[in-house]
Amino acid sequence: MIMAKAITLDGFTKRYGTMVAVDDISLDIPAGEFVSIVGPSGSGKTTLLRMIAGLETPTVGRILFDDKDMTTVSPQDRPLSMVFQNIALFPHMTCRENVGYGLKIHGMPKAERDQLIDEAAKSLQIEDQLEKVPSELSGGQQQRVALGRAFVEDPDVLLLDEPMSDLDAKLKEDLRIEFQRLHRELDATFVYVTHDQREAMTMSDEIAVMRKGTVEQFGDPETIFHDPDSEYIATFIGTPSTNIIEFDADGELARRGTTSVPLPAEARDEERVRVGFRPQYLRAGGGEVEVDVLVDVIEPLGVDYVVHATTVDDSSRLDLVTTDVSKLSPGDKITVGSRLADVFLFRADGRRIRSGAEGGVDL
Amino acid sequence: MFERLVGGPGGLVPNAVQQRLSAVALYAIGALVLLFVLTPIYLMVVVALQSPQTLFSGGELTLIPPTLTLNNFVTLVEQTSTVSYFLNSVIITVSSVFLSTTLAVVSGYSLTRFDISAKTLVARAVLFSYMVSPIVLAIPLYVIFFRLGLLNQYVSAILAVTAISAPFSIWLMWQYFQNIPIAYEESAWARGASRWRAVRDVVLPLARPGYISVAIFSFAVAWNDYTMVKVVLSDESLYPLTVGSELIFQEVFIGWGEQMALLFIISLPPFLVAAFLQNYLMQGFNLGHGE
Amino acid sequence: MRVANRFGLRDMGFDRDRLLVIVFLLPLIGFFAILWLVPMVYTVWSSFFSDPLVNPVFVGFDNYIAIIVDDQFLYFLWNSVLFAVSTTVLSLVVGLGFALVVNRAVFGGASLRTLMIFPYLLPTVVVVFLWRFLLDQNLGLVNRLLLEFGLIDRPIEFFGTVALAMPSIVTASVWKWGSFAFFIVLANLQAIPDEYYERAMVQGASQWQQFRDITFPHLRGAILLILLVRGIWMFNKFDVIWLTTRGGPASVTTTLPIRVYDYAIRLGEFGMGTALASIMFVLLAVGGVVYFVGLNPESGVTK
Repeated sequence: MIMAKAITLDGFTKRYGTMVAVDDISLDIPAGEFVSIVGPSGSGKTTLLRMIAGLETPTVGRILFDDKDMTTVSPQDRPLSMVFQNIALFPHMTCRENVGYGLKIHGMPKAERDQLIDEAAKSLQIEDQLEKVPSELSGGQQQRVALGRAFVEDPDVLLLDEPMSDLDAKLKEDLRIEFQRLHRELDATFVYVTHDQREAMTMSDEIAVMRKGTVEQFGDPETIFHDPDSEYIATFIGTPSTNIIEFDADGELARRGTTSVPLPAEARDEERVRVGFRPQYLRAGGGEVEVDVLVDVIEPLGVDYVVHATTVDDSSRLDLVTTDVSKLSPGDKITVGSRLADVFLFRADGRRIRSGAEGGVDL
Repeated sequence: MFERLVGGPGGLVPNAVQQRLSAVALYAIGALVLLFVLTPIYLMVVVALQSPQTLFSGGELTLIPPTLTLNNFVTLVEQTSTVSYFLNSVIITVSSVFLSTTLAVVSGYSLTRFDISAKTLVARAVLFSYMVSPIVLAIPLYVIFFRLGLLNQYVSAILAVTAISAPFSIWLMWQYFQNIPIAYEESAWARGASRWRAVRDVVLPLARPGYISVAIFSFAVAWNDYTMVKVVLSDESLYPLTVGSELIFQEVFIGWGEQMALLFIISLPPFLVAAFLQNYLMQGFNLGHGE
Repeated sequence: MRVANRFGLRDMGFDRDRLLVIVFLLPLIGFFAILWLVPMVYTVWSSFFSDPLVNPVFVGFDNYIAIIVDDQFLYFLWNSVLFAVSTTVLSLVVGLGFALVVNRAVFGGASLRTLMIFPYLLPTVVVVFLWRFLLDQNLGLVNRLLLEFGLIDRPIEFFGTVALAMPSIVTASVWKWGSFAFFIVLANLQAIPDEYYERAMVQGASQWQQFRDITFPHLRGAILLILLVRGIWMFNKFDVIWLTTRGGPASVTTTLPIRVYDYAIRLGEFGMGTALASIMFVLLAVGGVVYFVGLNPESGVTK
């Protein structure tokens, strides 16, 4: 019986000579979840995925599917399927043959294959494309055929390597829905690699945010958004990104110009503190923590507006998202504010400052 | 079909075995081919550098000589026409390369840039010339040169050899120019450059890899040629190394050592070309066939 | 504006552009006319005469008929085909095999490629002589090894033995021209994106299946092209055979190009020589057309 498998990475490391691409990652991906691995290029996410697939072997570490050690198993023998960034459909085969290739390799007779292929084609709306060759299809259609390939093999684990990076915005929307639907229908563990944090946020059960070969945080989208472990995560996740302003710290308070933020006990010996404000939490008018700014540009997004501003004492950028800009225009000097609970505090090296009693975040 | 037999999962010949087999096979093939290619070359070098004393000591060919000597080369240079043949080869080859390359560049450019209805005709002509054996061309050329009084001059050898290398060279440059967008020239024209200047300053630099490939190809044809020259030249003082070597080999005092030394001399320029201009060669092969 | 005058040819009337075209193309036309067209016309023309050089007498197709009905014609044609096919196929095998090896090699690719191009650049004279040396009765390495391993008890005169002469020439030819196939195949191999193999691996394909389903389809066009191009070239080859055996022993390696030389230069039968040359061309043209129509080397993987 085909069932989703849990993936466990234990001390996964990949080195190329002196360059460390993946640095000692230990991760538990629960069976059947849709997990995204997000990060900028060079963060090691693709290398990580390829090691899960078996296309590369880790320098150190193990990988387990459920409880079976797969570290030395070749890609052919791992119960997974993979969708590639550049689609990798064989140009000399029809779409039908492409979709059915894996089944053919496993020796399934033609009649059975065709039946499964037709089902998959119907589900993905590519029936008309089955007899054509990939070069006759558009990018979006090709990606659906690639999906059909994965679908038909009914894998325990499906790996996706930035499958939408070459597509336009509208197609991405359509395909996002397809992926989620596929996830429900297939009962497989999805591991989805992307540099687009929005994709990750909308589709995943859990997200692993990567930077320079390590996973900085692994958790569900809500937690990642509202309770980031580091400045990097706070700024990487969310659009527009979190505003970061450097404050001088002096015992109990962090101070900048007229703004002050009380510091929890753990941070009392810091000299400098970086304070993060999510644009979505800022309001024009004031709040528990206030900053004076000059409005630069107001960007309409439909219902929301993004107000780009600069702090009055010096040039730190501050963006806020709001629905009401009737009293705002460029050049205005206003005070924006946030609840204390919504403010992120980071040490100079980027680590999040948390405490139990004060400054914690309500979820 | 045989998926059960050769297939991956569950197949009769498991993947691990296949991987090992193919690795072994590849190493075996690699070793065999290397041996095949290297043996004659090694022989040439090893014999060329031995004196008669060491060469057949023990009644058989010495493969790993105790001492090396340059005597064979000295003999060739001092006692035979080797140097003069070498110079002839150089004259004929350099002239032919120059002629062939220029022709190829000019023709290739014209064929792509000018709207000429005879293009298919030219393509057919190139194909046609490829199907004609050099010996078939050499014979009427002989007659024509004879009638024109051009026999036994460098010119006839150069022309004959160029006749062989030019068609493919023209075709190569034609393909190559097709890949240089006219946009470059148009932007030069828009800035007031004449056609000629645009070609000189923009097109030619871009076409460099192409015409270097062509030059190398023409070099190979010209340096290598035996057939055309043999037919068209009979004056021994004009012989290039390929034809002249036959005469040298007939000399009594030329033994195996000297013969191999002569071969070594003939092989040296091509070797230098191969070593230093490899990349251009690859480009030529890429454009000429396939992609 | 001045600039407008320099564009294209179609808009303008006479003037400098027309002139430019003519100047540019004159060399090409002149070249082809003098060095190809005239000789070819002359060849065909001569073939209809007996003794065209000294005392031409029009004989119509007599030369052609004499050649074709000659009882050895088919034998020489067979030799030509045999030589062409065996050299080409074996060159392909060697080139393909080594290309597969080099494609996988992580290091040393550049020096291996230099090595492989070297035989191609060597003059035929050199190649011929090296192989004559290798296969020599008394001093040759091959005979020595065969004797040492007890495979034969007397040295073999390779180029002088009826049964072995052609294979020996073929071997020398493959040595020189195998690299051509090598480079073409290698270029095509390296153009196959890794993703195809990775995708196939993830889907469970074994080495053999990957070769069958990815590598081979991508190479098909190149292989067919090599076979055609090299086949024609070898059919027309003169120098290799001439320099090793002169067509012997006992005409066993005489191919059509050798025959042309025999007729035209040695026997002085210029009319016969040119007639045979024309026949050769027709044979190749027909063969080429059949090949294209039948096998369609253009199909296979298109980009």
